Amino acid sequence: MQLYAWLAIILPLIGIPLIWAGARINGFLRNTAAVAFPIMAALCALRLFPLLLHPEQLPLESSRIWITHPFTLEIGILLDPLSLILTLVVSIISAVIAVYCLGYMKGDPGICRFLMLVNLFIGSMLLLVLANNLLLLFVGWKLVGLCSYGLIGFYYQDDRKYWIGGPPGEAPLTTPSFCGLKALVVTGVGDLIMLGGILILYGYAGTLNLMALYHTAPVWFPEMARNPNMVILVSFMLLAGPIGKSAQFPLHEWLPEAMAGPGPVSALIHAATMVKSGVYLVARLMPIFYIGRWVADCPDATIFFTITAWVGAITAFLAATQGLVAKELKKILAFSTVSQIGYMWIGLGVAGLTQTTLVAGTSAGIFHLISHAIFKACLFLCAGSVIHAAHSIYIQDMGGMRRYMPRTWLCMLIAAVCLMGVPPLPGFWSKDAILLAGLEAHHIPIFIIAIVTVALTAFYTTRMVGIVFYGPESRHLQDLQKKSPSHEAPAIMWGACALLALMILALGLGGPWAEHLLHHNFTLNLTETLNLPVNSAEPHPFNYHLLVTCLSIGGILAGAIPAWLLYGSRKISILIQPKSVINELYVLFWRRWYIDSFYNRVFIDGTLKFADFIALRIENNFDTLLHRRLPALVTENLPNLFLRLKTESENFLYIGAYLMAIIMATIGFALWH
Amino acid sequence: MLDHLLLQTIIIPVLCSPAIILGRRVFGKKAAWIARAGLLYSTLLTLFATLQLTATGNPLIENYPFAGPAVTMNLLGDGLSLPVALIINLLCTALAFYADHYIDHRIEAIYGEIDQKTSVNHYTRFYALFLLFPTGFMGVCFATNLIGIYFFLEILPLPLYFIMAMFGYVDRVRVAMICLMWAVFGAGFFLVGSVIVYYHTASFAVASIAQLAGTPSAFWVISMFLITIMAKMAVVPFQVWMPWVHAEHPTCIAGLLAVYANIAVYVMLRLLIIPLTGDFQIFSLPLMTLALITMVYGALLTLGQTDIKRFAACSTISQLAYSMLGVCSLTKAGIDGGMFFFLGHIMSKTIIFSTAGIIVYTTGIRDMRQLGGLARKMPLTTALWIIGAMGLAGFPPMSSFPGEWIMFTGIFKAGLMGSTSKLIIAIAAAAAITLSVVYCFRSVKIIFYGPLNEKFAEDRHVKDPPLSMSLPLLAVAATAVTLGLFPKYILDLFHQVVATIPL
Repeated sequence: MQLYAWLAIILPLIGIPLIWAGARINGFLRNTAAVAFPIMAALCALRLFPLLLHPEQLPLESSRIWITHPFTLEIGILLDPLSLILTLVVSIISAVIAVYCLGYMKGDPGICRFLMLVNLFIGSMLLLVLANNLLLLFVGWKLVGLCSYGLIGFYYQDDRKYWIGGPPGEAPLTTPSFCGLKALVVTGVGDLIMLGGILILYGYAGTLNLMALYHTAPVWFPEMARNPNMVILVSFMLLAGPIGKSAQFPLHEWLPEAMAGPGPVSALIHAATMVKSGVYLVARLMPIFYIGRWVADCPDATIFFTITAWVGAITAFLAATQGLVAKELKKILAFSTVSQIGYMWIGLGVAGLTQTTLVAGTSAGIFHLISHAIFKACLFLCAGSVIHAAHSIYIQDMGGMRRYMPRTWLCMLIAAVCLMGVPPLPGFWSKDAILLAGLEAHHIPIFIIAIVTVALTAFYTTRMVGIVFYGPESRHLQDLQKKSPSHEAPAIMWGACALLALMILALGLGGPWAEHLLHHNFTLNLTETLNLPVNSAEPHPFNYHLLVTCLSIGGILAGAIPAWLLYGSRKISILIQPKSVINELYVLFWRRWYIDSFYNRVFIDGTLKFADFIALRIENNFDTLLHRRLPALVTENLPNLFLRLKTESENFLYIGAYLMAIIMATIGFALWH
Repeated sequence: MLDHLLLQTIIIPVLCSPAIILGRRVFGKKAAWIARAGLLYSTLLTLFATLQLTATGNPLIENYPFAGPAVTMNLLGDGLSLPVALIINLLCTALAFYADHYIDHRIEAIYGEIDQKTSVNHYTRFYALFLLFPTGFMGVCFATNLIGIYFFLEILPLPLYFIMAMFGYVDRVRVAMICLMWAVFGAGFFLVGSVIVYYHTASFAVASIAQLAGTPSAFWVISMFLITIMAKMAVVPFQVWMPWVHAEHPTCIAGLLAVYANIAVYVMLRLLIIPLTGDFQIFSLPLMTLALITMVYGALLTLGQTDIKRFAACSTISQLAYSMLGVCSLTKAGIDGGMFFFLGHIMSKTIIFSTAGIIVYTTGIRDMRQLGGLARKMPLTTALWIIGAMGLAGFPPMSSFPGEWIMFTGIFKAGLMGSTSKLIIAIAAAAAITLSVVYCFRSVKIIFYGPLNEKFAEDRHVKDPPLSMSLPLLAVAATAVTLGLFPKYILDLFHQVVATIPL
């Protein structure tokens, strides 16, 4: 079985040189190589699926020594429920998107580079989720970051048509190359802080192997906890990486700009897979801190879960508010992604806050990861098709697109309803599971934020669908119809969307079964394999499940109905007064809570100004002093000094020469002996 | 042929040097092939010696009397010196090929329209001087005597001085002088340190330095050598020569300048840390602090540059400090990682600098703000620059990634086992790598991305360089990737020596 896991990693990487070689011969060979290897990787992953049905066979590991000095490090893969689920999600969605790419990128001069980067990304992502130790995981982590950089900045020539931001005149525009750099740097900050956390962990545990870390944690965790505040420091440092990669507050500002990449990139990397790596890593590290809290009895370990839950809640709310007012189609989906990942963080965070919610919180977080990966990939692919057809990234340039793109509309509608959390689609099951875990953990403030965010999600999703597919056609679209009428996306593109929509429906119908399967797998994995202590939930005074369902559906209706009336049926309209509270809120959300502009001012402008100060002031002055003034002093002033000395004491120079001769002779004598 | 293997690696290049001068009348510019052949041979010898060491585990020792028992020319090829020598020889060979077109271009740019004979004279003069580098580097690597190391360290500024003066860029004679004066400054302290060692041990042998362990003189010996080392490594406040000297040299030797500066880490390990481990402990924290300051200062200085060559030069200041930080953490992982990072850095820096040279060679422009969009017309050059940037920023699969990982493992270990100050330095240093990512990839954006400068759009000269320039750099990149994927072979060799350090 482990062989299939290795093959899943290696096959997309083998595809990279073959795509390049194929491109030298003809487009067909290039395209074949580009889709064949991701599909084979997905087939390998599917071959591993039976293991999820028999989780008692897990975990499985396979590794080999990489270095032996100055310490032993190995490279290997780990098959456990978490890695298996992520492998399946990543490989299957990647394969579907790889097929879609052939249609979307057709005729693009950089298609070969694009396909190579996509294959490298798939291989790296699978390496990340299958790695059996933190070193190899970090290798995959860095490589997916690099691929993301290359793909966001894919249109590196920064042609104006690829700029994002705006609309022109309303907000500043940003170039793809800047967006790529921003993503690399912002996530890089988190990565490198996390590296420090990993190395501190290694300093105490003496191993980077995940299973060994879990099994030995009861021994080394208390030792780490003896050092005041060390557990808190390590928690912060380890979470910095996932916060950056998953675009969570306060490192969330790169993801909206990541939409500068081609549509399939947004679907693959910035919705379905890479941004989930942060969730994956939190889930990976959770058992360590759970052991620290509930086995080693170190109260500081709770901070890991508290940060996770609060970061998730804050991000879910912040991003959803920005989604309410966004005008770029892909940016709405980007804010939505950030917000939905926040839900996953809530699930994982509350999992460790009590001993009763471990399995429920973990399986809820991961279940939402799966359902979100599918419906958000579908939404992004559909958005790509719509943008292709409308020749604009702004939703106000669309309207009434349903009549031109009925298949795309249907797929997007299914995915959008799923995002809102309407039963019986998977978004409903998974989001409800998170809300339930939050309530069971008795974290009421987080629960309330999550419920409010449900309403916000329903509002921005309905607004998006309403403006894009319903209502009157925009002037831009009317003009466009005169030049080249909009039409449905090619079969290869809508086919991929339809496949994902079918997956949503299938997962929705089988939602309770999938939830049960995950629950069973994580119960076995966490409580039996890792031997984590859990308590069964206390009986509730009233039915929590029913309460959560009612509140969730109530939230959906509270958000969707006004949004539909405003943007879908257009039966009502609001005139926003310039000095009203709504206007103030609108500006706050539109300006992204001023966080992005604050970062730009402080970190970008501040660093560059400081760098200029060092280069132009400090270094230049130091250079002038040492390389101009000092030599001038020596060459111009020193001879005068000697002349003066010569006048005052005729023999001075002779004495100096004599002393020099003695010193040289002494050194010569020493050398001789 | 394989007798006196280490000596051959030192002697062969220096013998090729007069052969080029003499052969130029017969072979013209083809005389440069003497240099390339000599360097290829020397590289193969080093490779053979490294493989032999890997197989047998026995260091190569060659004894040559020189001036009595105190000053010998004994050579040692062990797990530390041979891998370093191998990579340096490889870089020298790659740059000997790369320099072919580049130096022709420099001669034309500096001396204008000159007759064929004068052109050949300049061209062959460059190669004759160039060969003093491998001689100096090999000597520093293999010598086991302080006077020997001093001698070879002092050989290196000579080709730097003359090549700078003859083939350099802005204000080249003055910068050559700066280069020489800093070398003399460092050498003076090295000599004083050597004399103190001799005074107390009656020997210049490196092995005899250990006799000073635990004595007050050890402090002074370490201090004297450290001033030399810090001056060579451009540690703040000795960094001020680096932007000038590194940037104004012809780029075909700029990669070797990175070696010239970074080899001081090797010298520090060989002369101070191995023999005087205990006495070096009190220097550990101050040196780590200085290294951190230099990392951040160098990175900010790099960010403030607009000149493509000064950009690469200033990044060297920051990158050199990484190796120093690792080695000065005084942990085995820190030392192994620091040395491995040194190898990764010199390879990446050679690629970055040489690619900068390609851009200047092609466009005639050094101001990065006037470049932009070059990826469209120079895809291979862009790829090379990105590979170099990945190396400097420590991305896998470049060799600097395992180097950085292992080095920081050691640095954090020093922090956890030692003082809190070291832990703070470790965390700050790990976070400071972000600055490397920023300046490396920001440069990619400025130079290669964005709209193409209109001036270049129609210029047929703006294109990827000839293969003789790009292939050597691709070979260096391939080596860096290979070492990144399989670091075990080099790390095992390092560890043969590092394991003996009582840490």
